Amino acid sequence: MKNLLRILYPSICLSVSLMIAPAVLNAAAAPSAAEKLYAELAKLNAAERSKRLEEGARKEGKLTFIHTFRGKLARDQVRLFEKRYPFVKVELTDMGSQDAAERLIAEETAKRHLTDAISLAVPDLPVILKQDLIANYPTPATARIPKKFQGFIDKENRWMPWYWSEHGISYNTSLIPPDKAPKDWMDLCNPAYKGQVSFDPPETRFMVGLYTLMGEEKFKQWLKCMGENQPIIQRGHTQRMNLMLAGDHAIQGDNFLYEGALAKKKDPKTAFAIVYTAPILAYAGSMIINANTQHPHASALFSDWTLSDESQKYTADEFRGPLIGKHPYLPEDAKIVPFGYVSDDIVERLHGYWNQYIGKKK
Amino acid sequence: MRRRLGLDSGGIALALIVAILIYQVVVPLLMIVWTSLKVVRPGEPGFFDLTFSLANYARAFGSADFWSATWNTLYFALASSLVSFTLGVFLAWVVNRTNTPLARLINVITLGRIIIPGILITVSWIFLASPSIGILNAMIGIRGFFNVYSFWGMVWVHALEMTPLAYLLLAAALQSMDPRLEEASAVAGAGNWTTLIRIAVPLVLPAVGAAVLLLLVYAIENFEVPLLLGGRAHVRLYTTEIFYNTARTPTDWGLSGAYSMAILLLSIALLAGYFRLVRHNERYQTVTGKDFRPRRIDLGAWRYVTCGIALLLVFVITGLPFLVVFYASFLARYQSPSVQALETMTLDNYREILNDASYSLHSLWNSTLVGVGTATVVMLLVSTMSYFINKTRVPGRKLIDFLGFAPIAVPSVVLGTAFLWFYLLVPVPILGTLIIIGLAYVTRYMAVALRFVSTSMLQIHSELEEAAIVAGGRWLTNFRRVYLPLLRPGLMAGWFWVMVHAYRELTIALLLARSQNRTAAVVIFDLWDNGSFPQLSAFGVIIFGLLIVLVLLGQAAGKRFGVQEQI
Repeated sequence: MKNLLRILYPSICLSVSLMIAPAVLNAAAAPSAAEKLYAELAKLNAAERSKRLEEGARKEGKLTFIHTFRGKLARDQVRLFEKRYPFVKVELTDMGSQDAAERLIAEETAKRHLTDAISLAVPDLPVILKQDLIANYPTPATARIPKKFQGFIDKENRWMPWYWSEHGISYNTSLIPPDKAPKDWMDLCNPAYKGQVSFDPPETRFMVGLYTLMGEEKFKQWLKCMGENQPIIQRGHTQRMNLMLAGDHAIQGDNFLYEGALAKKKDPKTAFAIVYTAPILAYAGSMIINANTQHPHASALFSDWTLSDESQKYTADEFRGPLIGKHPYLPEDAKIVPFGYVSDDIVERLHGYWNQYIGKKK
Repeated sequence: MRRRLGLDSGGIALALIVAILIYQVVVPLLMIVWTSLKVVRPGEPGFFDLTFSLANYARAFGSADFWSATWNTLYFALASSLVSFTLGVFLAWVVNRTNTPLARLINVITLGRIIIPGILITVSWIFLASPSIGILNAMIGIRGFFNVYSFWGMVWVHALEMTPLAYLLLAAALQSMDPRLEEASAVAGAGNWTTLIRIAVPLVLPAVGAAVLLLLVYAIENFEVPLLLGGRAHVRLYTTEIFYNTARTPTDWGLSGAYSMAILLLSIALLAGYFRLVRHNERYQTVTGKDFRPRRIDLGAWRYVTCGIALLLVFVITGLPFLVVFYASFLARYQSPSVQALETMTLDNYREILNDASYSLHSLWNSTLVGVGTATVVMLLVSTMSYFINKTRVPGRKLIDFLGFAPIAVPSVVLGTAFLWFYLLVPVPILGTLIIIGLAYVTRYMAVALRFVSTSMLQIHSELEEAAIVAGGRWLTNFRRVYLPLLRPGLMAGWFWVMVHAYRELTIALLLARSQNRTAAVVIFDLWDNGSFPQLSAFGVIIFGLLIVLVLLGQAAGKRFGVQEQI
């Protein structure tokens, strides 16, 4: 044993030193130049700014981007950009919003500036904002965003909204005829729907949306009566939607609507309907640029492009919510409740209510 | 007689093993222990200070929910391990030690189960046994008769997932058993049953111990089943409790570390039980210098009964879920089987996957490289480790065994993150390559592979190596020419297990994936996350076909190099 420890001890010391050394050496890393560049660009007129961006991106030739659209959806959008700007090669990784935030934090904490830009849901931003990892990026591209979505724009230019996502109520029309369907969020507490309404496990985004819509007290009441109605708690939005469409249960209490709408578009006989009388909770998806980006021109070029007609049309064609142009399936008069992020203590309280009334129920 | 090692090739091999264990196991474990004692995140100021806190442990273990989840988990682990062990033992015995017809087919179908990704299997069981739309309920005409959303539904799905592991471990041990001991029992007048209980079972005790140990640990750390079924079954297990308590951004690494330490302690306790079970190594040495061929028991007419039961079992274990996956792969969206559903069948799912070849096929190639590479490296590593643990008196051999086993206690997400952090902090340029995933997998699968090989190693009598030493063989030659050939049943079984699991592993691959090192599992997750169960099924069928080819190649290699069976 002694022999083994004799070999183990110096090796452990060496390994730990190796781990510590780069962090210590990089502790006083130089500040980013990206924000200075963006401030300079903001002073130029549109044509000149655009020219500078393209020239810079051409020199950089590369962009490391994390997309929170998944799989083919992300790849096809990036291909469109690469077709438009063939001189920028995009290194694309796709993952969930929380994982993307976690990766950026990890990389930047280790002083490894590997990611240039991320597409991230606004409700998932606070953790990154707190760490001060995002470049302030003023851009004229946001001027195109219509008034009804201008609330999504950050006054400090830390993120740039480019699409929106929705949480709403939908149901299986084979299991519930339209006249017996819920009309509002509170209707989900109706005992007629006992054990038929499905949710994901506690999800900050959804709860913040309902909190914005209802206020804290009403949200608590809703959770309480919802808990008494024995909701289905099952992980996976799309899996739940598929199960509902297959007749497993009747109602989606918290889900994106596009999955069902897309299924209905492909096969009009699909037993799916959206409850338009209940407000639809909407949050923005945004582009953020790493304050320490190694490709600031390419990052800015890509961010601006996401609000172009080309990118917005692609977003609509794929049944996601474009900020510019017509929504692919929601009517113009749909009741939309936009929301962003709230403070940590509110998030803690919302999770606490969920655990009290729904999460820990046996 | 056990060897003492000097500074020959054996000594060098030992030093290498220790170095690899430090790099691959001690450093990540150290990071996890360290993190569990810190209230700041890795990389933040104060993380490397020598001030520690038990706050994470107080938070983790101070909650009543945690203890309730722990009891649920133990109950779940015992129940599912019992079911999978019983099924695995039966199948291993039928296939390897009896003259049951269609044994090879039963073997292939059992192993085929491992190949289908876990997410697909769990979702298929939802479609089979959901109380409202379950195909099985529709077939018997009683809604809710089978309910996958229940504690026993979870036990069932997980037990079927684990049966091939018990099968593989015991099959390897049964193949390496000298039949003369059983023949002696028969000559002494004992019947088949008595011989089985009094001779065969005690001889495969290390394999039994290893199987029980691994089944329990895998059940404790299982994530897919409690995640997909547990919420609706109102059953919270240890892993889901960890997930719900730490799944915020930024991840609470301190709390995760504290939870990992609990699993680690539990695993140490189980490992201690295993050590005690196999403390008299020499009792299990059935592979000696005398030639032998495994004997098959003649069951007479009963062989048709065992064949029927085994076929039914493998149909339930592999056939049923695969049929659901195969059926779904031709649908535009999942529908219960009906004339209308059959009318909508299409090849579009396959077409779409094959049309995007640069993405999906590239990931399959990456997975093949990582799977085959990891399995080969791991088996070489653990066979050397197992030699030092079981055949020498080298000081600290139990510590080597513990370090080899310890990674099983670390949840994939924690292990993957430890690797991510490590290679972010250390200037070794492997981020975004397959190497970083391979290195993480080496640590991840070392534990199970070590049990596969140790089971076979314990059966090899030391007299073989002694004879080789007398004949002047050096350590490396003896290891290569004596041990490796005799270890082949365990090596092949372990190689297969590691290869397939490395092929389909998800959590670590997701954490370490970048644009060029995506594996098939990442694509599977993308498809699942995007809600395309039919497309995911099509991809699953393609993987199944590809892995069947790899398995058949492995089987051919096993047949070529393994112990010849008596026909």
